[in-house]
Amino acid sequence: MKAGLLFLWLAAPLAAQSARARLEGRVPAASIAAIDSLVQVAARESLPTEPLVQKAIEGGAKRVSGDRIIKAVQLNLDQLRAAKALLERAGDRAPVTHAEVLAVVAARKRGLADSIVERVVAALPDEPRGSALHAVADLVAHRFAGDSAADLILAAVHQGLRGVRLLDVSSAAIQETQRGRTRAEALALIARELPNVPPPPPPPRATVLHARRPAAAPPPDEP
Amino acid sequence: MNPIDPKIHQALDGEIPRAALSAELRRDADLLERAAALLAAAPQEGSVAARVMAALERPLPPRRSRVVRWLLTPHAVVLRMRPVWSVALAAGVLLLAILPAPSGAPALGDEEGVAQFVARFPGARSVAVVGSFNDWRPGSIALEDPDHDGVWRGAVVLPAGAHEYMFVVDGERWVADPLAGRYVEDDFGRENSLLIVRPVAE
Repeated sequence: MKAGLLFLWLAAPLAAQSARARLEGRVPAASIAAIDSLVQVAARESLPTEPLVQKAIEGGAKRVSGDRIIKAVQLNLDQLRAAKALLERAGDRAPVTHAEVLAVVAARKRGLADSIVERVVAALPDEPRGSALHAVADLVAHRFAGDSAADLILAAVHQGLRGVRLLDVSSAAIQETQRGRTRAEALALIARELPNVPPPPPPPRATVLHARRPAAAPPPDEP
Repeated sequence: MNPIDPKIHQALDGEIPRAALSAELRRDADLLERAAALLAAAPQEGSVAARVMAALERPLPPRRSRVVRWLLTPHAVVLRMRPVWSVALAAGVLLLAILPAPSGAPALGDEEGVAQFVARFPGARSVAVVGSFNDWRPGSIALEDPDHDGVWRGAVVLPAGAHEYMFVVDGERWVADPLAGRYVEDDFGRENSLLIVRPVAE
């Protein structure tokens, strides 16, 4: 416990220091101090700091004013706190992983109600929830009811599907509605067919051969 | 078969004079005599050997005609190979199929995938992809439109997982990907496109 506290005491300033260096020249100079302090707060609270730095850099790239960047970073800090609280409320023991915090933030930003997120989190206590939450969010974005969408994805999990294969389940249901079925019919049909949903075709070999790597972005921080 | 008048036989055999025949029989006898002379004459061509040699000495057709004829004529191809070389050849072909992509192609890790970007911007001079994967730096991932039809494309190796991104057109216009299908608010009053990259090992 003492070692963990010592690590946090040392890690927080280090994270903030590297953040300040990355913000130089990318955001209005007058806003760097405020952003930096928010990053330090996130580090002290064991929250991921990389999304805050990314949000600031994104704002700078989009030529947004310094005030708006600070507000966006503050908003993202609040979202990280809310996601962490939700995970703990749903049964995750501290320290929650940064990956799970980010998964919950993404799900809430995509419009999933907290009750649905909590349900999915609680149903998958010992495994990554990112893909499951995105699969439910995909369905909700296509006007499926949140509870029904969660029912289908959790049924797929119980049938042994994991990771991005859960996205194939939501894709299959959405495709059924595009073929003219009602949402209820689509959900019932895909639920009956589980776990047999077709995966998407792999990218063509020529595409893979010509794929390039972007300039390396800094790795996300992890406790 | 037309019967020959016996008087013609007698005249041809010299038993009676040709003048004893009527004018019509005399003409027939003359025709028969000329036909017999033609049949009795020696053939004008030489021996078999002479004719073969004459054919051999005939000039060859042009080289192009011979090549075309050779190409169009079926030929039996016989490949004599020791079994050990056959096995080695088969192993080589198998290795080529199994080995990773040749140099120049990206070697993908288990937690990486390939994202394909396609966007239609007719008249654009440049289109770039910017996002959390390249620190939002315009220009680090430029899409290409080699046939100038306004459709810009690019494939990028990215870590598996969710990434927010936008297109930057002509270095200044920020546009969400209309084909993304997933969007999130960017907290600056617009929407970012959301991309979920599947790991190649999936």
